[in-house]
Amino acid sequence: MTGLIILGTFMGLIIVSFAAIVQKKLADSIILFMGVGLGSVVLFFIFKAPDVALTEAVIGVGISSLIFLMALKHLGEQK
Amino acid sequence: MSLKREIPTTTLSGFALSGLLVLTILSILLQNIPNKIQTAGNALLKLNTTEGVANAVTTVVVYFRGFDTLGEIAVLFIASLGIGLMLHSNTKCNIKAESNFMLQTASRLLFPIIMLFGTYVMIYGHLSPGGGFQGGVIIASGVLLLLISHKAFEVPHSVIVALETFAGVSYVLIGLIGLLVLDVFLGNFLPHDISQMGLLLSGGIIPLIYIIVGIKVGSEMSMIVQNLIKRDYDV
Amino acid sequence: MFEFLNQPEVIKIIVTIGSMILFFVGLFGLLTRKHIIKIFISIAIMESSIFLLFIGLTFKIDSIAPILDSAHKDVATMNDPIPHAMILTAIVIGMAVLALGVSFAIEYFKLTGKTDIDEMNEMRH
Repeated sequence: MTGLIILGTFMGLIIVSFAAIVQKKLADSIILFMGVGLGSVVLFFIFKAPDVALTEAVIGVGISSLIFLMALKHLGEQK
Repeated sequence: MSLKREIPTTTLSGFALSGLLVLTILSILLQNIPNKIQTAGNALLKLNTTEGVANAVTTVVVYFRGFDTLGEIAVLFIASLGIGLMLHSNTKCNIKAESNFMLQTASRLLFPIIMLFGTYVMIYGHLSPGGGFQGGVIIASGVLLLLISHKAFEVPHSVIVALETFAGVSYVLIGLIGLLVLDVFLGNFLPHDISQMGLLLSGGIIPLIYIIVGIKVGSEMSMIVQNLIKRDYDV
Repeated sequence: MFEFLNQPEVIKIIVTIGSMILFFVGLFGLLTRKHIIKIFISIAIMESSIFLLFIGLTFKIDSIAPILDSAHKDVATMNDPIPHAMILTAIVIGMAVLALGVSFAIEYFKLTGKTDIDEMNEMRH
């Protein structure tokens, strides 16, 4: 059962990350990058590593996505 | 029309190097299938039952590898310095818009709860998953919530400078006191009894250092967030 | 029915191949995208794949988290705490370097107004 969950989450991560870099607009790319961070947190939880999951949830999804969203605001929406 | 447009040389050479990386990792994996991966982790866990705190990862980060944490704090400080150099703005001209009434009321209700949760994660870092880095960034996200929803709120510059200086200097001072008392930099000079594992006051200097790390990381991340949001447009 | 997936060798193969494919996806994005922020996003995806590889290679099936308390006192079934500590440091430093790079990109856009890396050729003439 554990192996099946790990396989499914990895496949979802690969699909979401590939979709994140072929988007045309920058805003969609940033939101899909947040999905990569979320899948990473789920995988760290399955691997029984609570400290790393907490750190990735706060820093990877919270602060890293904020940095990219601020870049989007200052740069304007281009292609 | 040059030749460079017909053959994408950069992309092809990049993929060739990646293929080399794939073969290296595959060969490492195929040699380690019969469970030959061993680190010093098992010996460290046995040492933790006689000398550390309840959370084994906290003991490794703060006590067994405390010097690396000092280097990581230095890297964070240099990054914050660079961001402040590029993006700092001193004008009173504010580009934030006036926000909704619902957002203002809800953020005033949520801010003390987020601060309390961040302090709890920071102080109980040696008994449950958490610690200085996680608690500091949670506090910075509380400050971010207030920065977004209120037009005239900003954290004063002198407060952040005072907190950061105090935390950075006291980390090195604790290490030097350990050097004086025990001949080991960052040695454990406070009483740490093994019968107190699981209580709040256990482990000697380990909770103290993690609280100092949390204060420093929290104030630095608040400064980074404030520099990214507040900006003047001189167009 | 999927019982053969729970053996430790098969899980190691799944983790290694999955994180390598994720690394490849990030590398493809790094080499072929033109917008500077998309290049930074590809670098962040590559870093995430390496963290997953490190934690996944030392994972045993019936293990518990490395926290001692009154109910769990045997250390034989606990996870390994050393990769956790290293990955914690690496996540924080990766975020700090990314923030510095993005602030450089913002400042460059304020000076010249370009975000396409094919047009950033002031140093070639």
